[in-house]
Parts: sequence; C-alpha cells; structure tokens
Amino acid sequence: MSDARAVADRLVKAKRLNALLTPAKDLRKSLLAQAAAARTTGVLYGMPVAVKDNICTLEFTTSCGSKILEGYQSPYEATAITKLKAAGALIAGKTNCDEFAMGSSTEHSAYGRVLHPLDKTRVPGGSSGGSAALVAAGAVPAALGSDTGGSVRQPAAFCGVVGMKPTYGRVSRYGLVAFGSSLDQIGVLGRSVHDAARVLSVISGRDPRDSTCEDRDPLRLPNVPESLQGFVIGLPKEYFPAELDPAVRRACDRAIRLMKELGAAVREVSLPHTPYAVPTYYVIAPAEASSNLARYDGVRYGPRFDGHQDLHALYRTTRGQGFGPEVRRRILVGTYVLSAGYYDAYYRRAQQMRALIAQDFRNAFDRGVDLLFTPTVPSPAFKAGEKLSDPIAMYMSDIFTVTANLAGLPAMSLPIGRVKGLPIGGQLIGQAFLEDEMIEAAYALERVVPATDEA
Amino acid sequence: MSVSRDEVLRIAQLAEFDVDEDSLPEIAEQMSRILDYVAQLSAIPTNGTVKTFVPGPDAIRFRPDEVAPSPLMFGPAHFAPAFKEGFFVVPKLGQFE
Repeated sequence: MSDARAVADRLVKAKRLNALLTPAKDLRKSLLAQAAAARTTGVLYGMPVAVKDNICTLEFTTSCGSKILEGYQSPYEATAITKLKAAGALIAGKTNCDEFAMGSSTEHSAYGRVLHPLDKTRVPGGSSGGSAALVAAGAVPAALGSDTGGSVRQPAAFCGVVGMKPTYGRVSRYGLVAFGSSLDQIGVLGRSVHDAARVLSVISGRDPRDSTCEDRDPLRLPNVPESLQGFVIGLPKEYFPAELDPAVRRACDRAIRLMKELGAAVREVSLPHTPYAVPTYYVIAPAEASSNLARYDGVRYGPRFDGHQDLHALYRTTRGQGFGPEVRRRILVGTYVLSAGYYDAYYRRAQQMRALIAQDFRNAFDRGVDLLFTPTVPSPAFKAGEKLSDPIAMYMSDIFTVTANLAGLPAMSLPIGRVKGLPIGGQLIGQAFLEDEMIEAAYALERVVPATDEA
Repeated sequence: MSVSRDEVLRIAQLAEFDVDEDSLPEIAEQMSRILDYVAQLSAIPTNGTVKTFVPGPDAIRFRPDEVAPSPLMFGPAHFAPAFKEGFFVVPKLGQFE
C-alpha cells in the first residue's frame, strides 16, 4: 500500500496541469482518513483512483466543472464509488472536466482549461481531460471518467494512456450526473490495460438503484494471452478515410501488422452508416441533455443567482449565469429538436439512424468478426483555442468514438505510437458484454506495440 | 436553414434561461450551423419503418416495494439555496392577469 502522504504529494505536484479541482489541504486530510479506514483485504487496497467531477462523492464536492454546481456537496455517493471503497481503493480527489461532460478538449470548464501533460499549448482531450492528464503525469495509476460520445477514449488517446468504456448497462450510472442518459457510461482511464481493467472489474455489476444497469455479475478479468490465435479483427473501412492523418494511419498499420504477427486474422468490414454517426449523436445527446439539465434551476441545489423578482426570473437568471456557452448551446439545440414541429424531422430521424448504426455493428459481428480495430481520434492532440470558435470542428473530434455509445458497445483506446512526441490511440470495439475479449486482445497488443515510439 | 434572432429567444424561453442581447447574433449563427449540419439526417431514406433503438435491458425491472433507509446522508437544508421548515423557499410565482 502506498503511503497516503506520498499519494497526496504526487497529486499536488501535478497542480500546474489544472487537472485536479480538490484543494490540496482537503485532499491530504481526506486521503489520510481514507487510508486509515481502507479495507486491507480489498483487491484494490491502497490504490488511489481520481474521480471525474461529475461523479458524486461524499469525500469531496461535485461541481461537474460548472458554476451552477459550485461548491455542491452531494448527500450520497455513486455506486461506482461505494464499490471502489469496498475494494480498498482511495478516492484521490475530483478531476477537472468540460462542463457537464460536454466537450472534447476540457476547455469548457468553469474552472479553467486542463493542460496537456506533454505540451502545455495543447489540449488533453475531453471531456475527462483532468482524469487523463493526471494518469498520464503519473499522479495516479487510474481515474474514473464518463463516456457519452468518447469522453474517456478520446482524452486517453491524446494523453497516451488506456481508456475503457464498458457496454451500456455494465456499470451502474447511479450517482453519475446525467448528461445523455441513453449514452452515458462511467469508464476508466489507466496507465496500463491491467490498471484500467481491474478498476473496471470492481465497479461493474448489478445495482438495484439503476434500472438500466444489467442484472449481471461483475466483469471477470481474462488472463494475459500468449497470442491472438483465433481472434478475427475487423477493420471498418469507413474509419480509415483517405484524409486520415498519415501518422495516425502509420501507427494503425503498425498495430495491425503486430496483431497479425500474434496470429490474429484481419479482415476489412463495412459499417455503411458511419458518416451519419456524428449528426445522429448531436441530435440525441443535446435532446437528452436539455431534459436532464432542466433540474438546475436555483431551487433545490447549487447556488442561486441574484436579480429575480419572480420564480421564472429566478430560473432564467440562475440558468443564464450558471451555464457556460457550450452547455447553453447544447440545451438550445436540444430544446429546438424536441420542440413541436421539429421532433419528427430531427429526433425521430436520429433515433432511426441510431438503430441502423447499431445494426451495422451486429452485421459485422454476425459475419464472424470478434473485435473491430480503428483509430481512436483522426489526429493527435490539437492546440488550445484551435477549435473553440467552431463547434462542428470540435464535434468531428468524436467521429470514431460516438458510434460505440450510439450502439451501446464496449470500446477502449490504448496508446499505439507517437507523432512528433504526441501520443496516438488505437481503438478496439467489442461485442456487448464481451469486454473480456476486448481486454484480452488489448493485453496482447499492449505487450508488443512500441507505444512511445514515433510511428 | 437558418435560425432567427426571435427563434433563439423563443427557444431560450422554453429552456428557461436568459440570453443577453450582445451574444444573440453569435448564438443564432452557431445554432444555424449545427442544425444545418444535423439536417443531413433528413436526406437519407429511412422510410418510416425503421424501429428506433435504445440500449439497455429489454424490460424494466422493478425493485421490491419495501421501505428502505434513505440513501441521503443529510437533508436539503444542507444543499438547497433556501430551505425553511421542510420547504424549498422560492420567490413568488409572478403576476397573473
């Protein structure tokens, strides 16, 4: 077990990244108390796990990176947190994120942007950018994030760490502040496949408090395989377009060659509705967000902003001043697509497209493919400010990750090389509830891929 | 398709938040671009027969109807902006004609 003081020191040392929202003093005090009470027989005994600020904890406040929940102390904790503590892990503070997990760069936080650990002029990805940056900086071996459209995998790819999003329903969402309820899953960022997988295994499993959580036993970890003999890996051609960054393509080609050398059969597949995934996502996610965020009104929790004469004015000033620009934008778009006269044209159409995207995956898996391999993001980490004024350009950063959320499938990113010193991630997408196969392949690939070498 | 200034104000009213005058043109422009972008969905044939899809369990599971201890460690007095004698305190609803 690592000394609680040393854990706190490592986290405080990473302060320059602005990745941690918990004040150093609170963190030290809590870690000492947690270490004294930790279950010594737990499988994660003494392991510090930082937690994204949209997951409710009793130890620390939960602001979701928003002014509208500044200083909010949750009266309950997420099931994932209860399970981590029962396994002996230490909750190592709350990590900065895009406001309500809406963003791909962690620039949309009310508490300032997070710096990329290898290049402070760049973004760490998002929305779980604080969790990714802390793991990449070596401050914690693992951290929890949430993944609605790639918010665990995309920052993992940018920062050169492992990021896993489980099947929808594998991990309880109780205590995860809702953004897009049919897309959200708690995921794990880890410095290795094993670190991420063992945390995921602990937080997975049934929970009577979340009716969308499947009635299943926790995920069982596979053994590290000798080879990939018997695995059929599909390469969806829509994920390797001509305009793909050449360095990302080189890194993927190298990983594919290594998987073949390990005995995997590799074949091209087609997921024809992929081009419609981002527009589908940017109808469904804002629609769900506009409903979920209706609860922040200055009445039941969070701060109340002044200048109101009546109840509606109170709602309008609190929400107008409490939400940042990206959250406001998404609530407006979501309200628009759900409003009378537009529902069929946008929302129903997007729900139908979602079914076709999910069917694409089923067709590929029905043809004998076990896993899909793709780039996680089309390019390495971009410069801070580069995409802030262009929401569509920012949204395109999620192009290879949103499909797994739309189809509810497990997916993960692992580092497969670098370009000019910046990490590149490769994505494995698995079949529903077969995370063990995905992790098995990742174990094998991780052992052979030169993750920190130039591609 | 483009979203007008008045439409932004109407939608903001539905969403219950204030939008200040200065940011209206930018919001209208960005909303228009996003809605134009997602409008490509209407170009593809789905012929109305495609069933919609939501992941998760096929049937809603119910918990046993039993009294359980409250999962809250403390009550709203600790986290509500204004709470008095068991009630959330709010300003008056407004004038009705």
